[in-house]
Amino acid sequence: MTSSPVAAISSEDIRGYLATKLADAEHIELHDVAQIAVGWSHETWLFECHYRESGEPRKLGLCLRRDPGNALLRHLSDLGEQFRVLKCLERTDLPTPKAYWFESDPAILGAPFLVMEKVAGACPSPWGRDGRAYYAGASERGILPGEFTRALATLHTIDWQAAGLEFLGRPEPGTGFAEREIAKWRELIATTEHPPEPILTDLICWLEANIPPCDRVTLVHGAYRTGNLLIDDDRISAVLDWELQVLGDPMYDVAYVLSDLNREGTELLSNLVARDAFFEDYEAATGFVIDEHRCRYYNALYAMRSVAFWMSASDLYATGRSNDIRLARTAWSVPVVLDRAARDLGY
Amino acid sequence: MTPDELLQRLSQTLRKEIGPAIESEYSKTQAFMASVVTQKLGRQVGLERAHERADAAELDALIGDLGGLLEQSPGEDRVAAAIEDIGNSRDKVRLCAVIVALYAARDELGEVKFSALLNRVRLSLRANINRQMEYAA
Repeated sequence: MTSSPVAAISSEDIRGYLATKLADAEHIELHDVAQIAVGWSHETWLFECHYRESGEPRKLGLCLRRDPGNALLRHLSDLGEQFRVLKCLERTDLPTPKAYWFESDPAILGAPFLVMEKVAGACPSPWGRDGRAYYAGASERGILPGEFTRALATLHTIDWQAAGLEFLGRPEPGTGFAEREIAKWRELIATTEHPPEPILTDLICWLEANIPPCDRVTLVHGAYRTGNLLIDDDRISAVLDWELQVLGDPMYDVAYVLSDLNREGTELLSNLVARDAFFEDYEAATGFVIDEHRCRYYNALYAMRSVAFWMSASDLYATGRSNDIRLARTAWSVPVVLDRAARDLGY
Repeated sequence: MTPDELLQRLSQTLRKEIGPAIESEYSKTQAFMASVVTQKLGRQVGLERAHERADAAELDALIGDLGGLLEQSPGEDRVAAAIEDIGNSRDKVRLCAVIVALYAARDELGEVKFSALLNRVRLSLRANINRQMEYAA
């Protein structure tokens, strides 16, 4: 059973595709093929590709992500853009998977897809008991918290123009970044059939009336937290989930790290990092001063984004575009986020 | 058995009997999620009439209070029209138009009157979201 509206693909389909890309490869075989449930945006398969080249045995760990067409973020999460971003980031110090191929032609595997490196490591979910215990242990061991902060600092200090990331769109100076984000989430909300929500209206009006100016433009991940980082032996082996990246205010990511949305039952940021250590290490590594006022604003913007996500998600189920009951459940996440947003606005 | 009791019963069956009997990981997750959905829906259905009555009373009080807070001054026309509209329609969704009108008329209203009107609206929104949280949380 699957929630995908596009045809299932087999190992043989993938093997056939790889044969067209690995021109000198012979005897291609796929091993340990597994479709994994990560996120709600794209379908993901992990596998090992074994083949011979010039008589020598070769092995390539690969990850294939396919856009089923009913993804949570739909037009806002484009695999072609993800591929371009990953290619650009290969030239930087940020650990990311090597991107191999992107195909927009649905005739090949039923829908657009990309193939990238399967990086060593695990990605414990911070939402489950096991994941929280893992991050609590990693925090005590003391290596991963610094890695977490350093990787974010690296991301924020990438020379994005030199890396070729200008195609992401530089925001207008001043308030342009936040205006663009508000417009993006407004657009997603407008695609749903949800009735207007007065608290959401209040939140958006407040956001529009209180936009802080952005004084520095960097690459922004958009969802930087544990659960989106691949970890190997207490080191970050890859920053994942390149679906929401933009050029904009680095405080947008910092606000996400500081948010209590991303920790449960602990004061540790993202279930991992002590707040004081994060401030000290991030500021030292970037030379930026964390602006808590701007972070509080972006925290409210995240509430708007969350409402947009949940409205979009529950709408996919309600309108029959997905059969995934997890999406139906998110209809009740909308009031939960609105309750939090109202508290943030002081009521 | 009332509809909400039936939904709660369905939720328990899904969680305790159907879910554990499924081997496929995806389908098992779907069964447990269906249990969560029916549980929340059951609570929402069970509270629906009480919440409708509370919402209606809240709206009456809000419209009265907003009318009392409004005095003749520039910018009031848009706000007054939005309040009149919600008074006629009795549709709480139209509160969105009141909020938009308030923010749009902020300069003309002045900060004191703007805050007084918005805070009164927010009082109603808080009461409403508290009711929703009885089944959503």
